[in-house]
Amino acid sequence: MKAGRFPASLATPVLLAFAVFIVAPCVMLLVKGLEPTAETGEWPDFTNVLGVFDSKVGQQALNRTIRISLIVTAVCMLAGYPVALFIARCAPRWRGLLLAVVIFPFLISAVVRAFGWTVLLGDSGLANKGLIALGLIERPIALVQNEIGIIVGETHLLMPYMILSLLAVLQRIDPNLRHAAESLGASPVSVFWRIVIPLTLPGLLTGTLLVFSLAMTAFATPFLLGGGRTPILTTLLYDYAFTLFDWRLAAAIGIVLLILGILFVTIHRFVSSRGMRSYG
Amino acid sequence: MADLFLRSGRGLVTVMAVFWLVFLVAPIVVTLASSFTSSTYLTFPPPGWSVRWYLSAFESEWVWSTFWNSVVIAVVSTAIAVALGIAAARVLARHRFYGRGAFEYAVLSPLIIPGVVVGFALLNVSVLIETQDAGLLNLIIGHTMVTTPFTLRSVWSSMAGNDISLEEAAQSLGATRWSAFWLIVFPLIVPGIVAGAIIAFTFSFNDVTISAFLSDREARTLPVELMSHIEYLPDPTPAAVSSLMIVITLAFFLLVERTVGLGVFADR
Repeated sequence: MKAGRFPASLATPVLLAFAVFIVAPCVMLLVKGLEPTAETGEWPDFTNVLGVFDSKVGQQALNRTIRISLIVTAVCMLAGYPVALFIARCAPRWRGLLLAVVIFPFLISAVVRAFGWTVLLGDSGLANKGLIALGLIERPIALVQNEIGIIVGETHLLMPYMILSLLAVLQRIDPNLRHAAESLGASPVSVFWRIVIPLTLPGLLTGTLLVFSLAMTAFATPFLLGGGRTPILTTLLYDYAFTLFDWRLAAAIGIVLLILGILFVTIHRFVSSRGMRSYG
Repeated sequence: MADLFLRSGRGLVTVMAVFWLVFLVAPIVVTLASSFTSSTYLTFPPPGWSVRWYLSAFESEWVWSTFWNSVVIAVVSTAIAVALGIAAARVLARHRFYGRGAFEYAVLSPLIIPGVVVGFALLNVSVLIETQDAGLLNLIIGHTMVTTPFTLRSVWSSMAGNDISLEEAAQSLGATRWSAFWLIVFPLIVPGIVAGAIIAFTFSFNDVTISAFLSDREARTLPVELMSHIEYLPDPTPAAVSSLMIVITLAFFLLVERTVGLGVFADR
């Protein structure tokens, strides 16, 4: 490996593309979001960014985004774990098919999946019919155009990430560990709690961070399943940009989302590098 | 006792796993089934079967025009993303230089930046330099930037196992650097290129977030147009269009499965 020299002919076109179409637009967004609101104000003016959290709509959207993301992450964790366990220990000839069931939905357009959920969760949809048949409710309840719809849709959107993160670590567990523990008298339950769970923690952590950050920044799913009255940060940004034409506020929300995105990746890098050290 | 515990524990895991696996396929199955409904409104299960909504979809102008937009955008942006991905992967796999970490961070940054931010930021630029009417071009640029990390990672991992001495041997036998690359390296990274290209194409063809910000009245992608139809027109034509998109995605999915395996999605 040659050290030192900058591979200019290869790297320059790539760097140029990213500088012009990613870095510069983001810098512009920062400039726009920090523009002074008053004529006399100076740049940078944090009124807009802070205003996102001060206004009632903004605060509600932020709280809703965090609440939904926490619920979705918890459901993905509780649901993803048994699915990953099941796939990891089923016969190899079934594993491919089950893996396909997990991976295929996550390639399908978010619009198409949201559409499927509007049919399933609608007033005459299968979910309401099922709940009525079970005697849990008497008449159809609203499952879309509200937070329930967003939670169901985002859980469906993001669960594959959790399952794949868990499978990656589950498949690396040496089966001899279990045999050793069992031969030393450990019950299957304590093998699960004291061997499987600790060894899958890094995957659980990766999946959790991934699901939470993607839930915070999902757009099409909350847009279609949440309706107009339950904005989260991303759909509020869209509203400010295309309905209210207040691009300064839209840019301010964009800055908040950008900071969140960078924050989660930094946490992830920090956590995974520490995880490597303690396991390697 | 322990045996009973084990069996009931396994049984519980199986029941929960099957429930959530059904949950994962449910909206897809329901979309496919309800697209064959004979009624003018959407219910599941449908009261009767027909293909009238497929005929309606094929006769709709908006379906064809936005479908071709989506295909053009996906093909062009995938081609550019593959070229950028190969160059970036080569840089990262073969060179050590000051600022390499920053280079990697920059090229993978679209994975970190939320899609709404990329879309809105690019929209801001296009308004500033007054190219907001060049809808297709804006969409191609946006899609290229967010799909390049996928092609890069895929090509990079196929380069990782390659031995640099093969290339050096070729060069010492008189091959130019360019022909050494084409004859030695390129054939070895073809699987990575194919996998990356398919992922990039699928992402671009199905994307809504970035496209929602960069589409205008003339240049709209199929998912964006579909989104507005779902929002305002509760008629089963969108179900037929959605089903066709599922079938197209399935074709690409099977292509990946048969050629390079599903591992490309699993090792992330």
